[in-house]
Amino acid sequence: MTINKTQQHHMQSLLARESLLDKDVMAKTETPVVRMLPNVHVVKIGGRSILEAGADVVQPLVQALGNALQQHKLILGVGGGARSRHVFSVGLDLGLPTGVLAELSAADALGNAHILGTLLAPHGVVAIPPAMFGHLLPLFIHSVPGVIFNGVPPYSLWEHPPALGRIPAHRTDSGCLILAECFGCRSVILVKDVRGLYSEDPHLNPDAEFIARISTDELRARALKTLPFDEVLLDILDTARLVHEFQIIDGRDPSLLSRALAGEHVGTIVYAPKD
Amino acid sequence: MTDKLLSELGAALVAGSLTDNQIKEKTANLPDFQILPQANVIKIGGQSFIDRGRAAVYPLMDEIRRNLAEHKLIIGTGAGTRARHAYSVGVELGMPTGVLSVLGTFVSMQNARMLHYLLADQGIPFIEPIQFAQLPLYLAERQAVIFFGMPPYTFWQRNPVIGRLPPHRTDTGCWLISETFGTRSMIYIKDEDGLYTADPKKDKHARFIPRITMDELDAMNLPDCVVEHSVLEMMKNARHRRSIQIINGLVPGNLTRALNGEAVGTLITAD
Repeated sequence: MTINKTQQHHMQSLLARESLLDKDVMAKTETPVVRMLPNVHVVKIGGRSILEAGADVVQPLVQALGNALQQHKLILGVGGGARSRHVFSVGLDLGLPTGVLAELSAADALGNAHILGTLLAPHGVVAIPPAMFGHLLPLFIHSVPGVIFNGVPPYSLWEHPPALGRIPAHRTDSGCLILAECFGCRSVILVKDVRGLYSEDPHLNPDAEFIARISTDELRARALKTLPFDEVLLDILDTARLVHEFQIIDGRDPSLLSRALAGEHVGTIVYAPKD
Repeated sequence: MTDKLLSELGAALVAGSLTDNQIKEKTANLPDFQILPQANVIKIGGQSFIDRGRAAVYPLMDEIRRNLAEHKLIIGTGAGTRARHAYSVGVELGMPTGVLSVLGTFVSMQNARMLHYLLADQGIPFIEPIQFAQLPLYLAERQAVIFFGMPPYTFWQRNPVIGRLPPHRTDTGCWLISETFGTRSMIYIKDEDGLYTADPKKDKHARFIPRITMDELDAMNLPDCVVEHSVLEMMKNARHRRSIQIINGLVPGNLTRALNGEAVGTLITAD
């Protein structure tokens, strides 16, 4: 340690005297990243679209997850579904800010995580409380076939103000993709109640065109009215270093899960274009 | 539950898509509630301030004490030279951004703890993110709290566009608290008078900027800036905190003047 003329107590390091806001300094920090969990798949189970769609939809998928867990290590994230949307509407009506809405919604996804955790307990899956999830994840992954978390990233009161409106941008799809990127996971699969991405919501227009594979750039350019996943996933994918695509699959056909885990293209793949 | 229990917007949110711009637009037009309109968020720099030790920190602590009768303070801390050390070690070893974010959190927490002990005579609590539910109580009872400035994103910190360092650090974490709680000010305490056209530590010809809008700042395309870029990005979308003030905390009286609403340092506004 050195003490300079201005009495700053400096430690010698590459970045000690540089501004961390300088673009050239930042470029020097681009190094290869460690993949912490390269053999693990992250699977996000839709809240409203799957978990709350009734036993006819959930039970066959639980069986498919149970089978998959015999071969694959899975991190399962779950959405907050209809209750999160309801608490958003009440909170918005009361004038509460985006950060508070984000804080509130974590509870709904946690409830759904416990429901799925209960159903998958016979297969050795545990639902992990958010506070310890990140730090103990490697331990759990080595000890059990799969773990469940509420997909909500811990943004809470620190949620970013959205460009339009007040709904938190980082919801459960985002929590799953950012987690997969940080831990260098093998794949990200979003299980929804549609075959994949369409030019319009296929529940509203049965003639909508199916899109099997699309880049983030092309998808932005098409400016679709709605997407079956959090829009911010496109930006997250574009800045990802380890995860370069995610696949949306139809959870109402349980056979698709094992095929997607095996690397097959069975739904819609959204990918980041290579530079 | 029937739809009668829900407003039209509520029904649209429950049944519709959260990615639909028409629905999002409707959420924008509702009136806002400000949770803590009387409180001020102040951020004490790490490298720029706390790392200077007693000579810088003690007078500022005294100035904070003198202001407690008048002002409610939510005090966030920066990280500083130890974070840079940890980032340097971590980057070379290939740590992902989320792990670097955890490391930065630890350093800003050390700084918050130190200031918290120095202000122990005032009975001001140090609070972690999970304790923000008690924030209104502590402000009512003790006028101030201290927290670590890093947003608690940990492994969920978004990657930067360039490089590996967490883009949302302590400037951003403090600003977000100011925005979410609708506080009356966001004051950054650094070791420079405010914003300059270049880094005044490296360029003698750097010119001081007392007041500037975001658009003007964007047009200047400065290679370096006195606050994290993400603060400026987010301020464009802010509903409450549409200005920030940057002051030199090494000058006695600057904090008091800023808390009293005076034009000291640099004011950056979204409008």
